[in-house]
Amino acid sequence: MYKYIIRRVLVFIPMLFALTVIVFGLALLAPGDALTGQSLADPNVDPEVYEQQREALGLNDPIPVQYFRWISAAVQGDFGNSMVFNGRSVAELIEARFANTLYLGLFSLAITIIVAIPIGIYSARHPYSLLDYGATGFGFFGLSIPNFFFGLMAIYFLSIKLGWFPAQGTMSTPGLTGWEAFFNRLHHMFLPGITLGLAGTATYMRYMRSEVLDVLGSDYIRTARAKGMSERNVLYKHTLRNALIPIITLMGFEIGVLLSGAVITEQVFQYPGLGTLFLSSVTNRDYPVVMAIAMILGVLILIGNLLADIFYSIVDPRIRYD
Amino acid sequence: MFKRVKLGITLLILLFLLGILMAACNSETTDPEPEEPEETEEPAETDESEEEPADEGPQMGGTLTGAMDTAPAGVFNPIFYQEAYEANILDFTHEGLVSQNEELGFEPNLAKEWTINEDQTEITLKLEEGVTWHDGEPFTAEDVVFTYKAISSPGYVEAGGIRTDYAVRLLGYEAFNSGETDEFEGVVAEDDLTVTFKFAEPNVTILKDVSFSIIPEHIFGDVPIAEIPSHPATLNAGEVIGTGPFQFTEMLEREQYVLTKHADYWNGEPYLDQIVWRVVDQSVMLGLLENGEIDFIADPNGVPAADFETVEALDHVKIIEQTDFGYQLMGFKMNHRTDADVESGALNPDNWVPNEDMSVQLIRQAMAYAIDRQAIVDNLLYGHGSVINAPVAQQFWAYDESATTAYEYDPEKANALLDEAGYVDTNDDGFRETPDGEEWIVNLNYPTGNKLREASAPILAQFLEAVGIKIDLRQPKEMTAYVEELTNDNTDWDLYLIGWSLGSGDPDPSGLWKSDAAYNFGRWNNPDSDQLMLDAMKAPEAFEQSYREEKYSEWQGLFSEDLPAVLLYAQNKIYGFNERLNGVNPMPYSFNNDPHLWWVSE
Repeated sequence: MYKYIIRRVLVFIPMLFALTVIVFGLALLAPGDALTGQSLADPNVDPEVYEQQREALGLNDPIPVQYFRWISAAVQGDFGNSMVFNGRSVAELIEARFANTLYLGLFSLAITIIVAIPIGIYSARHPYSLLDYGATGFGFFGLSIPNFFFGLMAIYFLSIKLGWFPAQGTMSTPGLTGWEAFFNRLHHMFLPGITLGLAGTATYMRYMRSEVLDVLGSDYIRTARAKGMSERNVLYKHTLRNALIPIITLMGFEIGVLLSGAVITEQVFQYPGLGTLFLSSVTNRDYPVVMAIAMILGVLILIGNLLADIFYSIVDPRIRYD
Repeated sequence: MFKRVKLGITLLILLFLLGILMAACNSETTDPEPEEPEETEEPAETDESEEEPADEGPQMGGTLTGAMDTAPAGVFNPIFYQEAYEANILDFTHEGLVSQNEELGFEPNLAKEWTINEDQTEITLKLEEGVTWHDGEPFTAEDVVFTYKAISSPGYVEAGGIRTDYAVRLLGYEAFNSGETDEFEGVVAEDDLTVTFKFAEPNVTILKDVSFSIIPEHIFGDVPIAEIPSHPATLNAGEVIGTGPFQFTEMLEREQYVLTKHADYWNGEPYLDQIVWRVVDQSVMLGLLENGEIDFIADPNGVPAADFETVEALDHVKIIEQTDFGYQLMGFKMNHRTDADVESGALNPDNWVPNEDMSVQLIRQAMAYAIDRQAIVDNLLYGHGSVINAPVAQQFWAYDESATTAYEYDPEKANALLDEAGYVDTNDDGFRETPDGEEWIVNLNYPTGNKLREASAPILAQFLEAVGIKIDLRQPKEMTAYVEELTNDNTDWDLYLIGWSLGSGDPDPSGLWKSDAAYNFGRWNNPDSDQLMLDAMKAPEAFEQSYREEKYSEWQGLFSEDLPAVLLYAQNKIYGFNERLNGVNPMPYSFNNDPHLWWVSE
């Protein structure tokens, strides 16, 4: 098992390296650079100024030269400075947003799991019951309603009309500390959290329902029941473990997806996370930031998948790695 | 069974850890700023104003919340900031020696008076006495010298600075900037409160040049220019020091920016205790204005024109509408550059290749007549804008509508002009052919980003097709890619859309329309126009504003006749604010004017 994990981690290295080459190449081949867009903002600024800055930033060098400069700094952990957020280091820009994205991602994942799995199981055990129909209806609702629309509705009714939840941001004032800050953040996270978690909840619920239904109909469950095993044991010992396998696969990917940030949700709630930063960096051609975020996402997705593979072997003893 | 309990426990632990992580992170990042106590206890003066029986005099105290739709990038230093969102903070915290009034004339600010020598090569300014920085240090002429020295110094541009325009005309700029000498002759402190600016040549825009915001020497004096952008006094709330009526004291990055009053402000203690900027999504802004969570929506984007009526209908919200300093245009690519020139970045009008059809004046004029610009303003901007005919901001003394051709919507005339130019429909397909009888297709290019502009493109195409010009409406391009192609104009482009937001300092249009200007994307090459723009800036005649007015009228007439671009519309700025906010007096260029006189009635 350990051998397997080490082998997998070693494979990460060439994969990440390939990722840097591809993303860097694409980022720099895109027309324009970080200063092209800025240069139109103020016609009083002499375009020569931007030409000098381009030279200073090395943007006029050939792409391989720029790549080499970037990668040799990056392997030493230096991701450079943003070209748009004048004078700010990439690490600093990402740090603050990464924490926000992490909290929001875990919060919505927690909501998803807590809500989806029990309801999914219940629906499967009592198919065609009132709650099952309700859950199915909710599932289709959750999958079909666009994120931004649900977010705006939530803001309009729960925040502006009823005043239960704050509409924007991560905290109500700067300078909160301790538990006060924790609960304040949690309060702010609620609306974006359910908005982000809605589609996931619906998906997981549907998966869980069909998986459990499927497993419940299989021969070994009939055997287990026949040998007089209690219904609880049938469910938890035999059914759930088998039903969870596809869910784990989903979650492996989900880690990357959640942490890559949810652009639309972040935008609607002005929740400063990685998603909006990534998007704006791509449109602004701020390639040091683009590269750093792409690397983080690459690492997270690889780790997510590795974790999923490890969890398989825990949930399902038939799966072994050596 | 056991496994499941374990799973549950793991989950709980995870949640708990998440909680601790969050709590820990917070206590690290945001230590509570000690509230400056002298500001919270309000002494005698408060009572005075409160005792006045209900005659609504200004009251001390209170907090105001403003909203902007995008967070500032975070460089809170006048010499390095780049965008309007940062300006929303800096407008409150930093000041220049002179500022502009409602007529865009310059008036005293940190400098109380000045004398300019005969040939306008020198200006000596007397500074206000008793001005202090937010940290209590006195403001002196040395700060002024330092600020201009900083933007003149070698490495300023490489460090990310773009405000060299304020310094390039100073005496000895070239030598100092290239590092040839350490001697900075351009700005000299005569004594603590007197400063002299010396210019290499007679300077027509002398007051504009001395209007730059001043930064403190006692903070940045020993910091190398390359390190100023990442210096704590540039980035961190509480450490940014200016002379303005408010100090930038606290921030929740990308969410909230808190300005606290500078009680010792030289122009009188501000009424408000705090102004809080919140970053709010455009779609939520109106809801929050309605329920009172935010008090004002102002620069840079204001209230969208489409929402004007909704906001106007709110009882507690007032609206101020004024013309913006910018315009949108449909330009003609009159010339293209050669591949070699694009490669080398050269802008040499002699090498340019005329773009067939678009270089014909009659065609350009016909297109202007074919477009109903008033209809675009009425329908796209809901009437909150104006049709302009000269590329000078209407607020300026230089703007002269009467010198221009109005190009009222007149499809008949458009048809006649096209016929006259020899572009007629010879094969009865409903579209005109070129004089050589070949198929004539004009392409129209436009960028994404500005929703109104995007919406205007198909409308323009329709207007032009209505007079028989076949339009190839290209797919819109993302802004950065668009600008790249617009600049490197060795392509087949004919028509392009772009918008400009002009400065309020001086109306000189040469940066956008002189033939060798990089932003002259149409590559308009008209020697008369170039000459007029030069004349209007030529000393000593141009010291007289009336002379410049004359030259600019002549130029505007020429522009509108030769028509390198159809000016589509100038949008209005719509500011909305809660009626509890009093004392608002926006300048033509900004809402953030004299905030020390703003006050709230509870």
